[in-house]
Amino acid sequence: MKVEISRRRFLQSSVALSVLGGTVLSSTDIMASSSQKEKLDNVLMKKVPTICEMCVNKCAVIAQVQNGVVVKLDPNPYFPKSKNMLCARGAAGIHALYDPDRLKYPLIRDGERGDGKFRRATWDEANEYIKDKMVKILDEEKDNRSCIGYCAGEGMAEHTYKSFMADKFGSTNFINHASICLQTAVSGYALTIGGYGQADLNNAKYVIMGGANRAEAIVTPDTMDLFKRTRGRGTKLIVVDPRFTNTAAHADTYLAIKPGTDLAFVLALTYQVLIKEIYNRTYVKNNFNGFEEYRKHIIESGYTPEWAEKITGIPAKDICRVATEFMANAPQSIYYQGRRSTFAKNDFQLRRAQAIFTALGGGIDVKGGIVFGKKLPLDGHEINIPMYANAKGRIDKKAAAIIGGSGSWIAWRNMVVEGTTPYPIRGLFVYKQNPMLCVPNTAKTKQMLEKLDLVVVIDTMPSDTAMYADVILPECTYLEREDPIKSFAGVEPSIALRQKVIDPMYESKPVLEIMKGLATKLSKPLWEITKKYDEDVQEELEGLEKDESEEDYYEENGFNLADSFEENQEHINEEIFTKQYGKEAWTLLRQKGIFYPNMMKNFEKLDNNSYNYYPEDKKNYTVVKLENENEAEEIDTCVNPRDIAEVRRLFSTPSTKIECVLASMQKKGIATMPTWIDTDYVEVPKGKFKFISGRHAQFTQNATQNNIMLLELMNENFIWINDKDAKLLDIKFGDMIEVTSKVGQVKIKAYPTAKIVPNTVFYIHGFGAKSTGLTFAHRNGASDNEIIEDRIEPVFGSAIMHDTIVSLRKV
Amino acid sequence: MNYAMALNYQNCINCKACETACKEENGVQLGAHKQRIWVGAVEGTIFGKPYMNLYPSQCNHCINAPCVNVCPTHASHVVAGGIVKVDPSMCILCKGCMEACPYDARFIDDTMVAVDKCTFCDHRIEEYGTTACQATCPTKVRLFGDLDDEESDLVQLLKTKRFFFQKEKSGTLPKLFYIVPDDEHYAKQSISHDTIIHTWDDFKPVYNYARDLRSIEWKR
Repeated sequence: MKVEISRRRFLQSSVALSVLGGTVLSSTDIMASSSQKEKLDNVLMKKVPTICEMCVNKCAVIAQVQNGVVVKLDPNPYFPKSKNMLCARGAAGIHALYDPDRLKYPLIRDGERGDGKFRRATWDEANEYIKDKMVKILDEEKDNRSCIGYCAGEGMAEHTYKSFMADKFGSTNFINHASICLQTAVSGYALTIGGYGQADLNNAKYVIMGGANRAEAIVTPDTMDLFKRTRGRGTKLIVVDPRFTNTAAHADTYLAIKPGTDLAFVLALTYQVLIKEIYNRTYVKNNFNGFEEYRKHIIESGYTPEWAEKITGIPAKDICRVATEFMANAPQSIYYQGRRSTFAKNDFQLRRAQAIFTALGGGIDVKGGIVFGKKLPLDGHEINIPMYANAKGRIDKKAAAIIGGSGSWIAWRNMVVEGTTPYPIRGLFVYKQNPMLCVPNTAKTKQMLEKLDLVVVIDTMPSDTAMYADVILPECTYLEREDPIKSFAGVEPSIALRQKVIDPMYESKPVLEIMKGLATKLSKPLWEITKKYDEDVQEELEGLEKDESEEDYYEENGFNLADSFEENQEHINEEIFTKQYGKEAWTLLRQKGIFYPNMMKNFEKLDNNSYNYYPEDKKNYTVVKLENENEAEEIDTCVNPRDIAEVRRLFSTPSTKIECVLASMQKKGIATMPTWIDTDYVEVPKGKFKFISGRHAQFTQNATQNNIMLLELMNENFIWINDKDAKLLDIKFGDMIEVTSKVGQVKIKAYPTAKIVPNTVFYIHGFGAKSTGLTFAHRNGASDNEIIEDRIEPVFGSAIMHDTIVSLRKV
Repeated sequence: MNYAMALNYQNCINCKACETACKEENGVQLGAHKQRIWVGAVEGTIFGKPYMNLYPSQCNHCINAPCVNVCPTHASHVVAGGIVKVDPSMCILCKGCMEACPYDARFIDDTMVAVDKCTFCDHRIEEYGTTACQATCPTKVRLFGDLDDEESDLVQLLKTKRFFFQKEKSGTLPKLFYIVPDDEHYAKQSISHDTIIHTWDDFKPVYNYARDLRSIEWKR
């Protein structure tokens, strides 16, 4: 039983900790004379450690609050992941909070869908509106909960939203960012080496970055670790990219590659080390499964550097050199995993080939290689999940070989648009995502939204998607709420807490409270529908004993949808955390924002730029279980990283080894080994261009598009075109260009440059909003997904982002 | 006390965290040319291969500051620690200082109707020991410190590295120390052939002399 007293005690301690100078204000203080004003300011000055949400990295922040206004966001040095830094977006978080265009109160559509007319409503009205529609839909669909789809962007509160939509409400149709983000990379590594891992860029000696751009797509701690060690300071960096990015500017070698041919490059590297036998033979003997077959495949397929030169445009001698250097530095050599989107149809095979290539040098689960790190344990929050007999499985499960719980955005949407779903999809809940801008082929997303009977958008900003909503529910920003506590795995693991800095502004609410309100409203009416159609429930209700009431059954079996949202987030966090680490650690966590064992003992400031978190012998470089436990001691005393790498481990793959061959893929029609298929490659017809997109360090996708501080740094996007191509077309800087693909057309200004390979054009993702609710972002530049074709790769149904052919016209 | 900053400019990834943190910390007026700090980018090609050099920069807080020398109203002045500041109430917007500054580090803040510039976050030094731009930097380009303190991290760094200044020839004795990269190739790519490379030993006497000469003018 949760007792009320613990909550009160928490409130007391929180106030005492967060108000610096700790004196309690009395009314006489408020009336103080002006000479005392300065003193008063100090009393009202708070510093609250919290976690940033301007992107997905979750760096630690200290928010300064003066008289209830957040005045500055500073980096929090205690977090081993973000290491006392805050990027431009993090620092500009204040303008997400005080954005004048923020959604301030619930809105109900008051015109045709998409025309942007809404009327202000109370929370109760909005929930009532949703309830009426939901009841009608579920009655018509005979309690098939899956007829309401739901999507979410990544975030610490995503789980809360999901626990309502999936666990309590009972829909299976969830789609999140995975299939338009890093699904292929994460799964490629997981199926090959047992996990995606982290590149230990603090100790790696040789790093190949193919397509990844850590200078402009900031990832903590990778970005901070890498660029302090480039240019003869420990890490040799090889960048393989169609664009000369800010990362490439730091590389020892930059290799310009034709987009979509990375797999050929990696296969040729593999060929070279196999033919020269410069891989780590002991490691391969101990830890590889199916090596011989893979070796034979690579060599017999003739993946020579000369072959790759023709495909990739990278000279064969460079491929040979990189292969040799990589192995000379192994096991502290990494082919960087990369994140983000699927480049081409073969992306899954590309990530597998990268993983196997890194493993050939032994650089897995070893200092300076790809490490898995440890995670400090934290229990989850228990939910009483009801069972719905009529809730059907997800609609897109046959869209690709493996469709997981987060689905394939493109396949899912297209099925809805084309009406090929096994049962009707009637509604969509959208949380913290903007499918109008983030899913390829905007025209189809628009069609989908227009087709649905109910669209509910939960967001902080009136995004392009919100314009198509029936109901908009205003969420508060990350600075106005406490989120579920999170444990961060790594070489130096820690737990971090997003605390509320100020109370939610306007009528906005944290997602937990939004779900609570909705659940309370929906629970009973939907229960009536379940009783009407759910035969299992009907049967069980008939069989109830005399002393059991229907109400008891409803409560006990989780049909009371609001029951998991009764406690507030602060209370849930305290309970979960103190169970594991105790009261004292909880106090420390709230005070510092971060916790890891022996933090106060080991945390040390070296100078204004560097900090120590864990002693070297307590860092978790090698964590995979060893076959022979006795060897663990040798690892501790071993000085040669090569010896540590060679030890036989039990990787979390089916064979406990590095999987060169995925036999189970055969029956799904997927190549069991990384294979180059000529017909998968999209050639660029003469006079046309391949379109690629990407990121930069000042915006996070389209989530920050209306932030005035960031728009200061860049207020529109430009299309990059090779300067020689531009000359032929007489395109000069700033010329307006009409870009046309099979699915759409945009207009954008030109940026001719030598920093991009020929026949290729690029512009940054996240611009081109059309929502009239966004004063500053409205029609700045162009949106990439308006022209990207909606094609998926065959393994996970991930969106292929770099295979669209476009034509250009100066207008 | 004589505050200065070393810049390990080869770490810079042009993410503009420093610029944003500066604007947030100091309430700098928004607008394209209203910057207290910035990143200068030089790009081009050598035989068709692109290159890019990044030079994070801000006010040099010159010991022999021409902006202070030309100011007719003494609005531009130097405070303790050798920090060049502007008193907005005394500024008459004659823009002489903006003309005099070789680094273009000054601009007009229309809200204050005065010239504005970097203050080395002097309001912040006591509590944090450093500026907002250094604290926030992901790749830790900057190191702020006291040139008079032989034990400071700054002087310790300058003793082990070689360094150069931007536009040293204008004779203003600037205090942004650009650290020469260890990598010879990158050093050649990013430092002009006529730039003078200094060591702590050759630099120290010159600066001590100049500081002694000028520090009597520093306002408390």
